[in-house]
Amino acid sequence: MKKVTVKDQSVTEKALRHARAVGVSMKESVYPLTATVYYPRERKKMPANLRGYLLFEPEKCISCWQCAFICPANAIRMKEAPNKRYYPTVDYGKCIFCHFCIDSCSGGALYSTKIHDVAYRDMDEMLTLTEEMIEQPEVLREDKKSVEYIIDKDDLHLKRRREQDTLFVEPTPPVEIPMVSQCVDRASCIGCRVCEEVCEHDAISSKQEGNILRMRIDTEKCTGCGLCVKECTMQILRLVRK
Amino acid sequence: MAVEDEKNRNVHILRTGVLSPLKRWGVKWSLWPCHFVTSCCGVELAHAFASGFDGERLGTLNMGISRQANFIIVEGTITRKMARALRVVWEQMPDPKFVEVIGACGERGGIFWNSYNLTRPSDIVPVDFFVPGCPVTPEALLRGVRAVQHKIEGRDRTTIKFKKTKLPSEPGKTCKVPTSPKVLAPTPLVKVDVGRDVDWSSGTELVKDLESRLAGLYRRITITDVNRIAIKTTPEHLVELAQKLRTEFGFDHVKSVNVIDVPHERKFIVEYMVSGYKKELMPVILNVFAELAREAKPEIASLASLWMSADYSEREMHDFFGVRFAGNAGMNYKFILAPEVNTPLRKDFKLEDESYVLEDNVPYAPEIKPPLPAELELPLPEGLIEDAESKEEFVVLVGPHHTGSGHLRWILRIKGDVIMEVIPDPGYVHRTMEKLAENRLYIQNIPLFERANISDPISMQLGYVRTIEKALGIEVPERARYIRTMMTELSRIGAFFYDSGIFSLFLGHSTGFMYVWAIREMILEAMVRATGSRCTPTFIIPGGVRRDIPKEVIDMVDNFTSAIHKRLKKFEDIFIYNPVFIARTKGVGVLSRADAIRCGIVGPFLRASGVEYDIRKVEPYDAYADLDWEVTTGDAGDCLGRYMGRYEEIKESLKIVKQTVDALRRIPRGEVISEELLGDYREASEDIKGHMFDVYGNLVLPKGEWTTVTESGRGTLLYSIVSDGDSNVPYRVRIVTPCWMNLRGIVEASKGERVADFWAIYGSFGYFPPEADR
Amino acid sequence: MMQEMISGMINTLMGTIMSNQIHVPVLEPLIKLLAQLPVGGFMVSLLFWKAFFAALICPGFATVGILLLFFPWIERKLCGRIQWRVGPNEIVWWLGGIIQLLADTIRFMFQEVIVHRDAHRPYYLQFPFLTFIPTLLPLLFIPAGSIVAIRTPYAIQIILALVCLFPLFILGLGWASNSRFAFIGTVREAFMYFAYEIAFIVAILAMIILYGTSDLVAINNTGTWGILLNPVAAFVFFVGAAMATSRLPFEIAEADQELAAGPHVEYSGIGFGLIYVLCYEKAYVLAGLMTVLFLGGGSGPALPGLGELSGLIWFLVKTLIVMTTLFVLRVIYPRYRLDQALSIGWSSLLSLALVAVVISLGVFMIGGGAI
Repeated sequence: MKKVTVKDQSVTEKALRHARAVGVSMKESVYPLTATVYYPRERKKMPANLRGYLLFEPEKCISCWQCAFICPANAIRMKEAPNKRYYPTVDYGKCIFCHFCIDSCSGGALYSTKIHDVAYRDMDEMLTLTEEMIEQPEVLREDKKSVEYIIDKDDLHLKRRREQDTLFVEPTPPVEIPMVSQCVDRASCIGCRVCEEVCEHDAISSKQEGNILRMRIDTEKCTGCGLCVKECTMQILRLVRK
Repeated sequence: MAVEDEKNRNVHILRTGVLSPLKRWGVKWSLWPCHFVTSCCGVELAHAFASGFDGERLGTLNMGISRQANFIIVEGTITRKMARALRVVWEQMPDPKFVEVIGACGERGGIFWNSYNLTRPSDIVPVDFFVPGCPVTPEALLRGVRAVQHKIEGRDRTTIKFKKTKLPSEPGKTCKVPTSPKVLAPTPLVKVDVGRDVDWSSGTELVKDLESRLAGLYRRITITDVNRIAIKTTPEHLVELAQKLRTEFGFDHVKSVNVIDVPHERKFIVEYMVSGYKKELMPVILNVFAELAREAKPEIASLASLWMSADYSEREMHDFFGVRFAGNAGMNYKFILAPEVNTPLRKDFKLEDESYVLEDNVPYAPEIKPPLPAELELPLPEGLIEDAESKEEFVVLVGPHHTGSGHLRWILRIKGDVIMEVIPDPGYVHRTMEKLAENRLYIQNIPLFERANISDPISMQLGYVRTIEKALGIEVPERARYIRTMMTELSRIGAFFYDSGIFSLFLGHSTGFMYVWAIREMILEAMVRATGSRCTPTFIIPGGVRRDIPKEVIDMVDNFTSAIHKRLKKFEDIFIYNPVFIARTKGVGVLSRADAIRCGIVGPFLRASGVEYDIRKVEPYDAYADLDWEVTTGDAGDCLGRYMGRYEEIKESLKIVKQTVDALRRIPRGEVISEELLGDYREASEDIKGHMFDVYGNLVLPKGEWTTVTESGRGTLLYSIVSDGDSNVPYRVRIVTPCWMNLRGIVEASKGERVADFWAIYGSFGYFPPEADR
Repeated sequence: MMQEMISGMINTLMGTIMSNQIHVPVLEPLIKLLAQLPVGGFMVSLLFWKAFFAALICPGFATVGILLLFFPWIERKLCGRIQWRVGPNEIVWWLGGIIQLLADTIRFMFQEVIVHRDAHRPYYLQFPFLTFIPTLLPLLFIPAGSIVAIRTPYAIQIILALVCLFPLFILGLGWASNSRFAFIGTVREAFMYFAYEIAFIVAILAMIILYGTSDLVAINNTGTWGILLNPVAAFVFFVGAAMATSRLPFEIAEADQELAAGPHVEYSGIGFGLIYVLCYEKAYVLAGLMTVLFLGGGSGPALPGLGELSGLIWFLVKTLIVMTTLFVLRVIYPRYRLDQALSIGWSSLLSLALVAVVISLGVFMIGGGAI
């Protein structure tokens, strides 16, 4: 246990402390440890994992709705595209940049940029539709230099470079986990064929055998996206390890 | 006048007259923001105007006085109470004036979008620019300032341009609109004393002791977990039982007062979480609860006279549930809620549900009626002014918009230069987290609770996540434990520097503020590199952390622990050992050990009064048990003692960080999320990317009440989650933040001190209103 | 008859003007050239008439104006530097934001002036302007080198009398504002007034003893650095000046975080603009006085070719240094509490002032009379 006690300062100590306070200010006025980034003129280099504005690749999206479901702020809503599929839209008037959506997107369709400094004129513009999230947006930039914070054993240093820092990063794909869909209770299947309809990869097929409709899941084709599990009317499909 | 017309008026003023170019030039370079620090974004505002970014470069000198400013930066959530202040401040400002709103809460509500206490600044004042982010980065804030400058020049535009791409049009597979992922039990079974067989020998003895000495006063005593005991009693016996617990057993403070509404069983459960600062009682938390019939006017006896620490929490529960605590002095007015909100935490008070589809006829966000101009005045407690006048006292209202008030209203009753009484009026940042948490998935609550206090975010998440882990019985992998400890300590250091900066500002020392803020900038740099966000990392998830942190960041943190000393030395010289600072704080606002325990203050402030209570030692979690560090205490109990105690504590924190860095270099990279929890998704144990919803989307906690305490930067942080065992949203979450408990400490310590000392005391307690109001 | 009288008067006037010209060798050819023009000659000699020059140009009106425009910038830049920031610099990037205050002034000019309902309207509007009287008048008596507007043996007394009027106007501001914070601030100002006044006057008294005169020009002409002879008096004067101008650690009446600028809390637009620069003016007057009393006034190595302007430049440089020191205090110290400041004023400062008197008497004895 550490006990903290602060003694009263004697007169000499007081004088010394006054002198040191003044001394620090004099020293700093001559040789300051300035840590300022001249923002509109130069930009602080942000790490690649910065959680900024979202971009979207529709080819990778399987419309699994997980981004919308996990969004704590309900900023992501799905909008019907011309191809009758649902793709995410982001309302930056609600988005809290937690990137739970990116961490939930098993296909890696959503990815981040380093854009984080935007001012909107009115609130209606803050809703970003799917078609606006595909290409890299154009941001007003006044910066010519980039500044990097470097912390070494001694102190914090600002390293300035005469180059514009890029705001876009290559997305890293998520870890692939071999999962397949499996029916856990075949007897309860009512043969509605929803699973077959929703499957992107034609992994589910059906065969009429007399009065019984037999569903079959092709484990080779199944990617484990879980769409059928979500849609199953009787909730009898589960994702299991391959 | 409509808000839109008001917006145009300002531009019109600048555009007319012969001298209009000169006028525009002057206003452009002299936007003095009236810092409307309403919420967490205020932290980033401070960063934008501190040494890291220095907004003063743009000519924007921060000025706290509305009459002299011409620019409001609305930082985050405007609650119903604060909405009135916002309008009043805006009215007080001279024309031409401009408004910038930063942070998602000020736009469509951000994470608090369906909160019952939220308003939108754009309904209250004309807003020129909106800056998204949660919180916004300082760059984004300054971008907003630049945008306003451009607007004054005549270039009024959004600073981002999206390019439209055609979406694929050939129809593919059908896509259905699924139902909500939330599963809610129709008649949830709420039981707060679910017994468990645990290995806790002293606990069984304590229970026997309790059973024998409390005979006749209780219904049932159950051990619910290690160090947790639930005592069921009746409303009639509650006071007597409490009396005995206090005098005979030494349970000297209340950690939390909680009410659970169970409408389908027509009852309220009223809980008191009681504990004691006797060595052997420290880790024990007794849950004394009674069931109260859910009538028109439910009433139960108040325990505030026994335990002063229960006082404010009882008032809060009265606001939330309408349960009267007979005998509590604060029952005739709303303590933290706005006058128009009634019993919001009852289960029949429904919030707007999420909508997952964007359709043309669905509004973006729920409709909110802002308080009308006629309701702008917030009432004072009844009879206050008359009473003060009869005693020849002078009433000063400090806040909610005041340079030295933070975002709450202090009612100071002064006589000459001496404070007779301080009455707090909190709730200006009450963002209704407890209610919102009842409507969200367990995983979605992590960013929610983190926003209670973004100057110490990791501790806030850690407390919540630990509660879930405790309920699920998950072991966290070693590497994740060390990462968590490292980040928690960094966050603690950040919290201290935050408070230290505000403290020095309160004493009029801006250099003290700037210096520590520069050091904080280093911490945030480490934070952003590790997690991707400066202030809201949302990094700790049940079972571990979201992803492993790269080696460079660990090196950077290592460098930070030694680099900090150079700047800290200068800070010490100019601020801490400055004779004026010592003169202002020594012997001011003294709380003796007994007083400190009585009014229920927690954390480093309690330790400064001589109580050796640190949860990291009492109930070690994460990696604390394996590390070498000491608890810091003091005897003085004055402002200086509280401050220096924390200062020594962060030196210990630096020691801990150093040790965790060494450990992280030793432990090989790999598992950072418990594979036990991940199950089939065990490959994601290094990085949750891609599988978060799969793993956490349907998390359900076992039935019962789960309570943990965590040592956050400012003290004991209590989370108590009630789960019904079926729903994947919590039934009730109770958070007691350290600042909420410390509020009483400020009130008690200020009595009889001089007026200027109030700010010294206030600053020394590190009071962070968003954390207190939640 | 009439004509003679007028020409006589003009001659006397010209005589007065011409006998009291500032001597600047570098500008001599130019002056001669201009003197050949009929009106130009008169204008130039009027301009270089010491009294006129002192009152309207330096250390008087024009200097005050320029100082108010640029000194806050110097202060903000320097304080920013000490605080590891940069201060205003974007406005004219290549000049480091030097015209920041110009922008602020223009903004104040065009800002709406709000007179709130509870204010005492006439006084509320008058006081920001009235306050300039006691702050501008002392400049007539402060010599910059050998240049002074009014030379009188009672210069110090007159300046002191005017300086002691400062707080009265602040009290007026606060009273007219009729706000709770302004009220507390005003009371604090009144208390502070008593805290420094006596020690301050006693310290000046010590210097009068030392110099044996209260004629500032005479004191200036001795060229002695009073601070070397009586450092205690200099210290008391400096602390007193910090209290009088409400600088940290004694910025108690205006305590921003406690009282939201105290007496000034309700002022907006140009009213606040005037009050905002008021403390700079006060500081200028007191720094000028300090320069003359303690730092040898305009004495210093003569700058070649500048003649009497040399003294003026030294005076300005010294004054600026004193002012800067006074203003940099705000980044070094937190704020004292009112009772602490009072006890410092009444006990420490007053006793130090008495010590200063003793030192002065000692120097007087040893030196065998005044300097």
